[in-house]
Amino acid sequence: MKRTCQMIIALCLPLVLCGAAMAQHSGPYVGAFIGGNALMDSEGSDNQGSFILKFDPALQGSAVAGWDFAPGDPVGEGRIELEYTRRSNRLDQVKFAEGGFKGDGDLTVDSLLLNFFGVFHNATPWSPYVGGGLGAARMDASGLKVTGQPLGTGTSVVFAYQFGTGVDFALTNHLSLDLGYRFFSSIKPKFTEANGQSFKMDYYNHSATLGLRFGF
Amino acid sequence: MIKLSWAGFLLLVVAGCGYNGTPTRHNDFTPLTSIRIVAADPAIEASHTIAALTSTKLTVIGDYSGLFTRDITDQVTSWSSNASTASFPYASPNNNRVFGASAGAASLTASVGGVTSAIYPLTVSPATVTAIAITPANPSIPNGLTTQFTATGTFSDTTTQDLTFDAVWASDTAAVATVSDAPASKGFAQSHTIGTATISATFGGIPAGTTILTVTPAVLQSIAVSPANPSVLSLSTVNFTATGTYSDGTTPDITNQVAWLSSRPDLATIPASGTTSVTATTLAQGTAVISAALAGVTGTTNLKVTGGTLTGFTIAPATVTLANGTVTRLTATGTFSNGSTRDISGAVAWSTADSNLATVTKAGGNLVWLNALGVTTGTPITAKSGTLTATSSLIVSAPTLQTLTITPPTGFVDLTAGASTRFSLIAAFTDGSTQDVTASSTWSSRDTTKATVDNSSAFAKGRISGVPAAAGPVIIDASYGGLTPSPSVTVTVTTRTLQSLAITPGTLNVGNQVKFSASATYTGTTIKDVTEDTVWSIDKPNVAILADSTSQPGQVVAVGSGSATLTATFGGLSKSVTITVP
Repeated sequence: MKRTCQMIIALCLPLVLCGAAMAQHSGPYVGAFIGGNALMDSEGSDNQGSFILKFDPALQGSAVAGWDFAPGDPVGEGRIELEYTRRSNRLDQVKFAEGGFKGDGDLTVDSLLLNFFGVFHNATPWSPYVGGGLGAARMDASGLKVTGQPLGTGTSVVFAYQFGTGVDFALTNHLSLDLGYRFFSSIKPKFTEANGQSFKMDYYNHSATLGLRFGF
Repeated sequence: MIKLSWAGFLLLVVAGCGYNGTPTRHNDFTPLTSIRIVAADPAIEASHTIAALTSTKLTVIGDYSGLFTRDITDQVTSWSSNASTASFPYASPNNNRVFGASAGAASLTASVGGVTSAIYPLTVSPATVTAIAITPANPSIPNGLTTQFTATGTFSDTTTQDLTFDAVWASDTAAVATVSDAPASKGFAQSHTIGTATISATFGGIPAGTTILTVTPAVLQSIAVSPANPSVLSLSTVNFTATGTYSDGTTPDITNQVAWLSSRPDLATIPASGTTSVTATTLAQGTAVISAALAGVTGTTNLKVTGGTLTGFTIAPATVTLANGTVTRLTATGTFSNGSTRDISGAVAWSTADSNLATVTKAGGNLVWLNALGVTTGTPITAKSGTLTATSSLIVSAPTLQTLTITPPTGFVDLTAGASTRFSLIAAFTDGSTQDVTASSTWSSRDTTKATVDNSSAFAKGRISGVPAAAGPVIIDASYGGLTPSPSVTVTVTTRTLQSLAITPGTLNVGNQVKFSASATYTGTTIKDVTEDTVWSIDKPNVAILADSTSQPGQVVAVGSGSATLTATFGGLSKSVTITVP
């Protein structure tokens, strides 16, 4: 947690060091984000019934590469980008009909999404944006355990999507700080239980991110 | 910024929260480490003893790594006993029932997968049964319902034991009630008709335990109100019926037994009781719950009143002069809160100031006749709906009839066999006035094999119908006040082959009355309007209804949003169109 705070402070330092910049970048850009995410309680289901998987919040990291459209561009004001994100949440508890039991292991998700964000430029350096993305996610449940026993194994590649909103703060003509929120979800991934039968689970993830984008 | 706010709201809606349901799956990920046998009967569990020739049910509790326990009796793969004194002779689902074959001791075990239970010591006592009691004692149940009996044995060692499974069950009057002796449902009684039956449980060669089961009349379990959730225009009526479902499975019509109630009498009223049906009258737009209650059971349906609330209406004609003894049609047109207008002639209350001078007759649907009965320089005709009223004035004179004229004027009047056309009879009086006296006249055909007339009602008069497959000219006569028109009218009936039927649609909005027309195309491209000769129907009264199939053929009133099929049938052909109410 201390390290997280240090990183957030480091990311925010440019806000103090830089004056407000009004220029709006257009053209290619790259960026990196870090944030925290909360994976919502998930319903797992198989042919024996349903159970609940509760995960701990965790950090996540993203890298983006995209294109800023200039204000007045016929495509619209906003940006299009390719985003890679890794989320890994530790299984805290599994609830069955008998009650809750200690969980263990990580559910790791690597996603690659094509995002579209509309940006609301104004006379200040702050530019709110809203948008979403579509793509794929590779989910790895091979480490999940309950009461020390294997719960699920295998990986699943599924269609994924997200909705996002946030605000950009232009530090310079080329550098901007991004504070955002993302809701990430997917169709239900399918994993294999220890007894060989398969189960599916929900995946709904809320995250708050802080990142820097550098435009060329 | 507004867009951003909407986007944020959308995000919150889409995002939702995590799963908040109740898990149904058992935890079998955690290893089962031990199991133990427990007698289902607490008394037997306490003593580990059953009487000889009796049985008891055992359960198996699994322990999962010390974290939780669960009844896993249904997962037991084998039961065993080390002695002949106790055995497991029964098939599933009673394979967990141990039988004490003879007095002595036995060690019982159960296995689930590779896990075997600790020994469950069971003693089979030599005690013999001395009495059997059945519970519940002397119960009464409504016809059609069931009850579960339990037999409890008292033994020579003063202990008691549940003998429901071991006893032989019987009913002395199976027509009234039966009781099951099948292993899976021992002691389960089903009633069949009103009366009494003696239920007995026999065990151990002693007199059977008995009890009297009284089957009482079936009880009402639910009420269904029909039609279910109707949509009805304001200022109209709808008939409701109630059907009861009784415990014996019968579903009689109980319309005349229930108490009817409208939750919103300001929107729809309904009498508290009725016979074969009760008629609700709709007043204003909204939804009222119509309930039917009997013996503590209530059935409901939602009555949706559409078409707006009446805000005003007018009478046509506003002023009318009639010759004494004639009639004319009255029309009331309502204006509603949703902007619609429609004919409400049949829904308003009509009255005249002096019934010696004039009366108003409702002839069904929206057909209303004003009858001139006495000479007057002016008498008011009033229509009322709720607090709204409208008035017209009637002048009745007694001029001398001079001539009669049929319109359309005589000449070649084409009439298709199987279809009809209308004529009017216009009277001219000595004071120079004229009046349409069709409804007061008498019509006749000189050759009814070719064309017929209908004098059965004022509305039917003047309508000439071509006899199917007939052909040729025919003279039609009319008379009023002792005169006949000169010349009479001649129609030529022509037999034509119907090729197709078409409906000219209108645009519907809820509450509005719209006229649809039917036209028939015959061989030779002859097209005739057959709206009045067509049988009209609509399949979904919650969407649209026919305004008045008698006096307003083809006229449709939209009731509620949706799509319905309007069908016109004429000459053996049918044509349907989909009408959509926005």
